[in-house]
Amino acid sequence: MSDAFLRARGVARRFGAQVALEPTDLDVAPGEALALIGPNGAGKSTLLAILAGALEPSAGTVDRADGVRVGWVPQRPAYYDRLTARENLELFARLEGEPDPQAAAERLLERFDLPADRPTSTLSVGNRQRLNVAVGMLGTPRVLLLDEPTASLDPGQRRRLWDTVTVVREQGGAVVFATQNLDELELYATRVAVLQRGRLRFAGPVDEYERVHAEEVFT
Amino acid sequence: MSRVLLVLGKDLRVLRRSPLLLSLLVAYPLLVAALVGLVAGYGSSKPRVALVDEDHLPAVVRVGGENFRINDAIREVGKNVHLLRMSSGEAGRALRAGRVVATLTVPPGFLNDLKSGIASPNLVYETTKGGISTRVTQQLQALVYSLNRHLQRAYVGTDLHYVQLILNGGNATFVGRKYHVLGLERMHTLLLTLPKSRARDQVAQFSRIAGVALGFTGSLLASTANPIGLERAPEKSRSSLLSAQVQAYALGLTITFLALLLAAGALAAERDENAVGRLVRGLVSLGELIWAKVALAAIVALALGLAIAVVFGAIVEIGGVVGGEPWARLPLLAVGLVLAGAALGALGALLGALARESRTASLVAVLVVMPIVFVGLIPAQVVPVAGWISDALPFAHAVRYFSSSLYDARPWATVARELAWLAGLGAIFGAGARLAARRLLA
Repeated sequence: MSDAFLRARGVARRFGAQVALEPTDLDVAPGEALALIGPNGAGKSTLLAILAGALEPSAGTVDRADGVRVGWVPQRPAYYDRLTARENLELFARLEGEPDPQAAAERLLERFDLPADRPTSTLSVGNRQRLNVAVGMLGTPRVLLLDEPTASLDPGQRRRLWDTVTVVREQGGAVVFATQNLDELELYATRVAVLQRGRLRFAGPVDEYERVHAEEVFT
Repeated sequence: MSRVLLVLGKDLRVLRRSPLLLSLLVAYPLLVAALVGLVAGYGSSKPRVALVDEDHLPAVVRVGGENFRINDAIREVGKNVHLLRMSSGEAGRALRAGRVVATLTVPPGFLNDLKSGIASPNLVYETTKGGISTRVTQQLQALVYSLNRHLQRAYVGTDLHYVQLILNGGNATFVGRKYHVLGLERMHTLLLTLPKSRARDQVAQFSRIAGVALGFTGSLLASTANPIGLERAPEKSRSSLLSAQVQAYALGLTITFLALLLAAGALAAERDENAVGRLVRGLVSLGELIWAKVALAAIVALALGLAIAVVFGAIVEIGGVVGGEPWARLPLLAVGLVLAGAALGALGALLGALARESRTASLVAVLVVMPIVFVGLIPAQVVPVAGWISDALPFAHAVRYFSSSLYDARPWATVARELAWLAGLGAIFGAGARLAARRLLA
């Protein structure tokens, strides 16, 4: 494998008779912020879940560079409602093999400004989403996969989230995020991949997308 | 292994934070066990029997010189069967409709035959087919036995009265006519006043021997009427509520309910909470996830099963009842609780994986528990198919293990056989759950 962190070749996914993703090739390289855009049901979440290893592809393979850890933040929060934010973070930190799970949990609680000891079922939507992102950042991932991470956040929370996420890229990692917000595309993406009806229609620099394809995608 | 323990620890923590759910999970099967026991006990001990009195028996019947109160006799019979007075037509309809399990008819002329002592009168009974008809027949035979004992006592009393008359003399009425009876004693006295002769001495000797022999008549008649008696020992024994079988069924039902429901609900909840996708990214495999749910079921089964066994043991100790070794066998019981909990947990995990969603999984588990339990209660000798089905499920093996480990003098063969069954069934259901768990990712 060359310098790509992740290399997807011919990955496809069917749910019964329904095709969620047609065979797709995609690389995720160090230092890039790749935006996945497309209408609802285009296959963005399916592709992210396959890249994360949370969903097995019906066909194709995903190769991961040696030693690269991947963090995944699904669109719907993925943790335990009856545990507190601290307990969730400590549990997933242990599962991720963090050397000091308690310290890792404490660090993320502070960074994401989360109420530590309330059951997560009682948290606000914004806090739940921030916890979702925090869990995805355990294990110090080199690649961070985010599925519409700012959908339920207010503008201040969005900015803080992107500040945190950008650090991953600045430290030589990569960020792949699905979004419906084209402002985020301009502000944070270095590359864009466009999906429509399960098919990859375009993958390239943001300015080329804006110059040539922007009109086609959501029409 | 440590990842299994981490998920298990999480599940136990979640369970601890749901005290209402935990209480219901414990109380519900115990309540069901108690209700089933009560219904079964009532149903088996008091079948409804229609009593048809075609002879119009009076409230008091005089037989053999003794008064019989019919209502008292019925009350005594009512300890075993629930007698309902009906007309012949009503009784026939009730029997066909299944409202009574038998009819017992007192035919016309019954009392006359009974009083005359010339012919033995018959009670006539009819039962439903199959089911508990054999047991009802036994109950009715017991009823007739009980009535016969009363009558025998009266007849013996009457017979003894005549014997006393022959011995001591006096006035008597027989077939409506009054007689004065001399009696052997007075006959002997009169004989001695006659002139001495060989014939007089022979008759006097006969009257003396006859008097002695007739003196034993009372006890001889009593023993002829009842050659073998049955006496209840006053010694304390284990009540049916504390019997090995009741305890084994209570344990089996409780852990079956708990283990199935917990494992099914906990596995499906991983998908409900969207955590399964995060876990299978190399953190916890689907196989490890199944193991965690199986371990959860086994631990809860162990804790609850031991608690129930300790409560039973304490009651047995406090009551001072005999039989069984409630404390010495706890370690052996613990082994069975763990393995039975694990096998049931594997079955629950299979249900959870198939159902995918925790509410559906819980409902399916509740619906599945009762058939599993009831099919395990049907004796294989009565319905062989039920035996085969229950052999393929953990409940019956768990019950046999618990009963044997707690009360058999030499439990090892049964315990080893049932452990092998539970391990085999656990492996099969666990493998099925692992295959089905892929559905959680869809």
